[in-house]
Amino acid sequence: MIKFEHVNKSYKNTKVLDDLSFEINPGEFTVLVGPSGCGKTTTLKMINRLIEPDSGAIYVNGRNIQDVDRIELRRSIGYVIQQIGLFPNMTVAQNIAVVPKLLKYPKAKIDEVVHNLLDMVNMPYANFAAKHPHQLSGGQQQRIGVLRALAASPPIILMDEPFGALDPMTRASLQDEVKNLQQQLNKTFVFVTHDMDEALDLADKIIFMDKGSIVQIDTPEDMLENPASNLIRSFMKKRLSGPDQPPSLVRDFMRTDVHKVSRNRGVRECIELMARVDIDSLIVVNSDKTYAGTISIKDLKADGKTGVIKKAEDGKSYRSIEPFIKTETPTFRLDDDARACFDFLLESDSRYIVVLTPDDRVAGVVTNTSVAKALADAFWSS
Amino acid sequence: MTRFFELYGDKFVECVYTHLYYVVVSVGIAFVIALAVGIALSRIPRVSRYILPVISVSQTIPGIVFVGILLLYFGMTSTTVIAALTVYAIFPILKNTYVGILEVEPQYKEAARGCGMSSLQALRLVEVPLAAPAIFAGLKMSCVYTVSWAVLAALIGRGSLGEFIYIGVATNDNTLIFAGAIPSAIMAVTLGYLIDLARKRVVNWPKGRAAK
Repeated sequence: MIKFEHVNKSYKNTKVLDDLSFEINPGEFTVLVGPSGCGKTTTLKMINRLIEPDSGAIYVNGRNIQDVDRIELRRSIGYVIQQIGLFPNMTVAQNIAVVPKLLKYPKAKIDEVVHNLLDMVNMPYANFAAKHPHQLSGGQQQRIGVLRALAASPPIILMDEPFGALDPMTRASLQDEVKNLQQQLNKTFVFVTHDMDEALDLADKIIFMDKGSIVQIDTPEDMLENPASNLIRSFMKKRLSGPDQPPSLVRDFMRTDVHKVSRNRGVRECIELMARVDIDSLIVVNSDKTYAGTISIKDLKADGKTGVIKKAEDGKSYRSIEPFIKTETPTFRLDDDARACFDFLLESDSRYIVVLTPDDRVAGVVTNTSVAKALADAFWSS
Repeated sequence: MTRFFELYGDKFVECVYTHLYYVVVSVGIAFVIALAVGIALSRIPRVSRYILPVISVSQTIPGIVFVGILLLYFGMTSTTVIAALTVYAIFPILKNTYVGILEVEPQYKEAARGCGMSSLQALRLVEVPLAAPAIFAGLKMSCVYTVSWAVLAALIGRGSLGEFIYIGVATNDNTLIFAGAIPSAIMAVTLGYLIDLARKRVVNWPKGRAAK
């Protein structure tokens, strides 16, 4: 599908790529990984001719890309960048439609594509199509960035550290989505990252580069088993050697990116916040920042008509979340034993545990994902 | 006041009209030229770095000198006035167009290229729209300046609001000076407001940085 033959590239006197040769098979998820400055991004950008090699040849679908018009080539290859790069002057729908429009698809076809793609990432057309990129969260923006790359259904998608600027939670869910998409659509993905964990999670094949050369090409399993150099070993340290002191406190596994609201907030406001950040419950705090309880979207929606009418400072009245605050959610302290916490979570009906500081403030939450992560850490380190 | 309108009423209306005509025509011509040249220069930033300062020198030539030179070619006609005003009106728009396009964030330019836009398509669909706020700012600046420069037209007897100002200064009549100055100021503010309205129609996307 993609083939590099003796590709070289220098900037001034520094050699960026040194006699690079490799091949990527159709339908493969290939991850280029390595320290910064190793040439992985340069390699990626050569595939759609954003950067031209000094010597050597690159073949896409058996054709030397030097013989293909570079504009045509780029329209036939999806491209996702770290800074996302959604055009702020266009709506979400227009952004997705960019390449189909350049390819002169009929309008009805474009609409259909935009509808289908938005459905695929659970961002309903009615709610999102007319929005502008700045009105979306970072995770939503990059979902649209991926959809823009997919819109003209190119057989190859290039991704240049697409999730580097996202918070860990969003990154994890986008990684899952992208992996699923790739398997569903059976496309060839070439993905650049400096994060070995990301590479191990996503890749069918990892190409590890250093100083413009390939150090090792292998499946994640084989690379974990037989790292070809100390550099690779150090990149995989997290997964290879067990931690010196097994972390066993709640604070080591909790998530800290929780959304808190004050208990005098309005129902609508909270529903909107949940919708915006794509979560189904919020932690409620008292005015002195101490933990008050939790609210869930289910309760708010099911019984949204009732609720105490409060008067806000500006004279408008609103329905307060006060009556919906629940205190059943289990709580643990920062320095409690993690294992006990996990056991408790798995046996209880609650989907998460709230972690409190010694002075009753909210430190974070422990969810099933935290348990899975702990298990995975233990598994990889054993 | 009443006496002023009795004496100069017709002339006043005519002068306001002529003044506005000068401003609109010269800024209009300047806008087209500046946009074209600004876009062209943005394609060759390496050369433009040296061209722009040369163009900016034209701004430093005193208006009277310029009008004098043009007078030799076009005589005491409105062409002289419009040509002079146009030359002065070009630079702010040109500079803002050029800088506005160059300062479009690299991520959008890279995304445009990566999507397979040709250079012209990237310009039309991404770079010029994103430079629009800067271009409008330049247009507004030009327009406000031109309103005050159009006063110069009276120097060669081509009936702008400047006529009142010059007669007023010559005859030491404050009413006449104000009759020229105040409408000019109102005109500048009004045109600026209209340009702001137009900008809001064109730049209809929310501003602000990407959410995290």
